[in-house]
Amino acid sequence: MSTPTSNSHANEGQSADGLSRRSFLRSSAVLASGLAALAASLAPLRHLNDFPSLDQFLQKYYKELTPEEMAKVLKRIEGEVEREYGLRPHVRDLRPMNGVEFVYALNLTRCIGCRKCVHACVAENNQSRNPEIQYIRVVRLPHGSLDLEKAEHNYNPELVPEKGYFYMPVQCQQCKNPPCVKVCPVHATWQEADGITVIDYNWCIGCRYCEAACPYWARHFNFTKPSIPKERLNLDMAYLGNRPRRQGVMEKCHFCVQRTRVGRYPACVEVCPVGARKFGNILDPESEVSYILRTKRVFIQLKEELGTSPRFFYYFDV
Amino acid sequence: MKTGERTGAVLLVLAVVFFALGLKFVSGFGTRLPAPQTIPLVDPQFLETATIRKSYAELVRTKADLSDFDCYACHEKGKPPTLRFDAQHNVVVPQEHADVVMGHGTHNRNNNCFNCHDDQNLELLQARDGRQIKLAESPLLCGSCHGPTYRDWEAGAHGRTGGYWDRTAGAIQRKICVDCHNPHRPKIPPRNPAPGPHLLHPVAAAAVEASH
Repeated sequence: MSTPTSNSHANEGQSADGLSRRSFLRSSAVLASGLAALAASLAPLRHLNDFPSLDQFLQKYYKELTPEEMAKVLKRIEGEVEREYGLRPHVRDLRPMNGVEFVYALNLTRCIGCRKCVHACVAENNQSRNPEIQYIRVVRLPHGSLDLEKAEHNYNPELVPEKGYFYMPVQCQQCKNPPCVKVCPVHATWQEADGITVIDYNWCIGCRYCEAACPYWARHFNFTKPSIPKERLNLDMAYLGNRPRRQGVMEKCHFCVQRTRVGRYPACVEVCPVGARKFGNILDPESEVSYILRTKRVFIQLKEELGTSPRFFYYFDV
Repeated sequence: MKTGERTGAVLLVLAVVFFALGLKFVSGFGTRLPAPQTIPLVDPQFLETATIRKSYAELVRTKADLSDFDCYACHEKGKPPTLRFDAQHNVVVPQEHADVVMGHGTHNRNNNCFNCHDDQNLELLQARDGRQIKLAESPLLCGSCHGPTYRDWEAGAHGRTGGYWDRTAGAIQRKICVDCHNPHRPKIPPRNPAPGPHLLHPVAAAAVEASH
């Protein structure tokens, strides 16, 4: 940028302060192009219509919020949702229950690959419909193999189940040793006492490290502002659960905290037409998951060789 | 000086290029964003948690029409109906019971109505050990043959679950065998799958389309 002064020995047309007409034009052209380039690089911001409010911006970390502050935050979120969708939700901050550790068991003998769980989950958890974000990915595998290289999740036959295939729904495995939590640079995601790995959507910076770290493809990024039709909005919300997310944050299956932490079954369990999905408290010896893990052929935790120790078990009947 | 002029010229060219690029990006001219595809909302039938059929117990509970279960509106009391079999030993289902398709068990091994129904009292069921069982308590009958499945069902491992996992917070919703299985034809028919994921990238979507 020192060009205009370095060639100042050219004395024709040189003004008193050492700036020639030519060098002035040059430097202003450089300056203009620099500004244009800056404007161009900032151009995508024009599409960002969803700036955080000051309150959102200054909100403290979930674990540092006092109960009074939390109440205020919940009120604010209810107001935000109401402004956006015209419907007043009920947002709660649900904490883990004492003496509860959730475990999921999925019966691969029963699953028919109908994908009802996928859509029940989308409806329950206010996921974006376009572009689609789905916590559950049902893959179709040929009989006699568990080679995920052969998995197909875009299968689309007239009728399911198809001959020669079995189906394996994959979602967040709620690992005991979660790689996604380890890589989060801002501690926006952590494992709670009941085993659910949750995300503080207000603390997430959207770096997507966790998405890269997760071996189950269970974490999803909101590339755009989620589009949720108003008539399908689930108004029963939780702070760490299904409240509408913003553009630029991660989300994932959280075992429906808005349901399970008040004692209900997750949406995918309730909708499964064949009863392949089982859920419960592993610390309760009477629960169905305890029975299953005790008596059934629980053959895998998916990718158990990675040492993530999932709380999600796949099993077969008999 | 020569070098000074050359530097100036290079800078000028760069300036023009940056300026043009800047204009292009800001105006959005020539940038072809993929048109946002329309994804239809999923059919609400896929969000339905109801079972595919209704058991007798459920019909009683919802006070539905029970005239189908009034056997002695047509049959005569104390006179067991006689069964007719065709040449292959398949039971001939009379016209009046045309909705019944016999398909319980393979190889035609379970072709006798009175394996389960009580021929002395048609409004009751009968287990093979002679116990009479009310229609509303049919799982006892099913369990008299399907022991392991009955055990799993009692423990909560077989069949659908809903409601509350925490019994102190609310009631669990369980279904009985015939809420899902047709007793005359227990194998559950195949069904349409819900739509799969819609791929955003047109090339990927075309590749998937081509692979089917």
